[in-house]
Amino acid sequence: MNVHRDTTWVWLNAAAVSACILLVLGLLLLITVRGLGHFWPTGVHEFTVLDEHGHRSRLVGQIRERERVPMERLGDQAATLDGENGLVTRVLVKSGNRDLTGQDFRWIVEERILQDNTPSSMAVLEREEWGAFFGNVIGLKTNGVLLKSRDVWGDFQRMLDQSRQLRDEVYHLERGEIGSINYRLEQLRLKEHGLQLAGEGRKEPFEAIELERRQLQSSYQQLEARLTGLNEAMLQNSVVVRTGTGAESDRDLPLAGIIDAWQPNAMSLTAQLQHFFRQLWLFVSEDPREANTEGGIFPAIYGTILMVLLMTVFVTPLGVIAGVYLKEYARQGLLTRIVRIAVNNLAGVPSIVYGVFGLGFFVYTLGGSIDQLFFSAALPSPTFGTGGLLWASLTLALLTLPTVIVATEEGLARIPRSLREGSLALGATQWETVWRTILPIASPGIMTGVILAVARAAGEVAPLMLVGVVKLAPALPLDGNYPFIHLDRKFMHMGFHIYDVGFQSPNVEAARPMVYATALLLVLVILLLNITAIGVRNHLREKFRGLET
Amino acid sequence: MTAQEQLVFTAPGAQRAHLGLPQGTPVAVSVHGLNLYYGEVHVLKEINIDIAAKQVTAFIGPSGCGKTTLLRCFNRMNDLIPGCRSEGEIILGGRNILEKKIDVAELRREVGMVFQKPNPFPKTIYENVAYGLRIHGIKRRRVLDESVEQALQGAALWDEVKDRLDESALGLSGGQQQRLVIARAIAVQPHVILLDEPCSSLDPISTLKVEELMNELKQQYTIVIVTHNMQQAARVSDRTAFMYLGEMIEYGETDQLFTKPGKKRTEDYITGRYG
Repeated sequence: MNVHRDTTWVWLNAAAVSACILLVLGLLLLITVRGLGHFWPTGVHEFTVLDEHGHRSRLVGQIRERERVPMERLGDQAATLDGENGLVTRVLVKSGNRDLTGQDFRWIVEERILQDNTPSSMAVLEREEWGAFFGNVIGLKTNGVLLKSRDVWGDFQRMLDQSRQLRDEVYHLERGEIGSINYRLEQLRLKEHGLQLAGEGRKEPFEAIELERRQLQSSYQQLEARLTGLNEAMLQNSVVVRTGTGAESDRDLPLAGIIDAWQPNAMSLTAQLQHFFRQLWLFVSEDPREANTEGGIFPAIYGTILMVLLMTVFVTPLGVIAGVYLKEYARQGLLTRIVRIAVNNLAGVPSIVYGVFGLGFFVYTLGGSIDQLFFSAALPSPTFGTGGLLWASLTLALLTLPTVIVATEEGLARIPRSLREGSLALGATQWETVWRTILPIASPGIMTGVILAVARAAGEVAPLMLVGVVKLAPALPLDGNYPFIHLDRKFMHMGFHIYDVGFQSPNVEAARPMVYATALLLVLVILLLNITAIGVRNHLREKFRGLET
Repeated sequence: MTAQEQLVFTAPGAQRAHLGLPQGTPVAVSVHGLNLYYGEVHVLKEINIDIAAKQVTAFIGPSGCGKTTLLRCFNRMNDLIPGCRSEGEIILGGRNILEKKIDVAELRREVGMVFQKPNPFPKTIYENVAYGLRIHGIKRRRVLDESVEQALQGAALWDEVKDRLDESALGLSGGQQQRLVIARAIAVQPHVILLDEPCSSLDPISTLKVEELMNELKQQYTIVIVTHNMQQAARVSDRTAFMYLGEMIEYGETDQLFTKPGKKRTEDYITGRYG
């Protein structure tokens, strides 16, 4: 009887564990497939479609999705369809060429497709604006003159490489050198304004500022001239393309606006794989474009990691000190019990409440005062009086503080009393005992708390929306301009990016793969942060292994 | 006068009974009218005892009789227990160590302690021994090296560990760990060493080694040992105190106490009628 009951419990436990594992794996599989599929060079089809009035038309695009729907859902169209048990299959086609047709995606009923070809010359052109272009590349032009070329596609790729180099140069010029000059000019302006506010009477400081400004401006003009030259060079070349929908639509596309071009139908598996990894790399290393629906998410990854690291720097010492005080120093009584209950309850407060607190206390009160005291030259535009990296990290540090405090207390509680006594009996003071013996031994436990804190903080979005995360940040919070880390800057965050791209974007269909890809990357980043922390903990644990008896 | 001699004093005057010691024996610790309470519980009742310098004194008695508590009074370890208070005086080094103003860390440097279970720190063997020295501000490597070697030799462990000083102390056997802990205690050169059932978790061979060590150590240090094991008390100690239910029943020469106990309870205990 007993044996029978035991096995039932074992089976129940096993079932629960398996369900959890399956859920996690399923979730990962879903976001992996949907997310990574975005980077695979999908073939471009050329469909001949019969519309409901009996006209034939051509449609070029990539198949995104296929589903079976009840005929009623198609409304008037349904009358002309046969269907099968009242169901028809329809295909979602990404037709691109948004500048021509005004729409990116179209549903077509499979029954209506008369012809479905995948010509190998069909190319995908990824553009700076208007999304992808599908069509044939038929010629190249320099300064408006058609070039003679035997291998149009090969020459096109070479020209594209050149224009890419030019674009990189422009980018570095704009972001790097010109950005740095702008930053210094702004600092100068603030310095000048600050001097004026302070009632500086002498002329020399102003003259010095003016001199420096002139120098900066002259170097700015030089850079701008170079920039204009580069931009002109970029506009020289253009490519002649023909959309699949008709010969009348030959068009010139300036090469400057083309980021990449490939012929998916003609690609071998190796080329496809190469393309896949290239796109993946661009996704994690590039800035977003087109209201975040295209391009990469580099600033979001950067912002997420930097914010979490900063949060760790704030929360670890604070939590450890609080935990040590509660456990080692405070007299255990009613008051400490109340404090402990309060700390535990703090862990249960909804995160958005922390966001509101961060906004009210950190941003408006603290930030406002800091601005009044130290950045009055910049007022009325706020420096710290608005959401930013510092306030976001502090808010999350507050949010995760209970985790670290509780973990520290538990880590300390696990240390055998004999070790404490051993140290005290040698004439060590309490502080020396804590610092030299107790804390090092408790460090794996404390690290566990930090791991949990990191995991929680990296996934948190709601409070961040109030204290410093933005849809698109103009500059990274850590860059080459002194003082290098800009705690006042707003930043991008992957969690918020998912929300923004998925639900606030003008082109939801186009953004969907980005949502999955970003979600996958967010999971990976959290995993990476966790693995780092776990690695540190295991290292510490190894050091004190013999203690666990 | 050396520090060692300063510590030792002879109980002044005849009004104080020279408790259990023959006249003229140097006294290291002198306990007068000690009462100790854990909250409401009266744990030690009117303890009076003088402990002879550079001898081994054993406290025996059944579990819960207060012998460990008495031992822990000598280095104020009981301070760590909330709700514990004591009355009376313990004279050590010419001062009453129960007074509030006593620097406890300083006192514990003079009075080393070894616990029931070996409790080496999870550090290297070297760092374990050097711990107390570092606490007391000794930083020079040469001085540390010398002291560590001396302490390990003093604890008869040097030969076994001299090639593995940088290995973790947790890799040593139980007996070695206990001798390491003794080395750690003598490294700071205390005057008194308290041993709280130091062999209770050791095998017979390790026990023998620690007992031999005690014989060596009493040349230099005053040793107080709490033990459950009467044979051990008989083997290692010069004087033995028998405690029962928080009271000091009998205190005297070990041979005397074991062969001709003065009290009925002592006899019952040492003959194994209860325990």
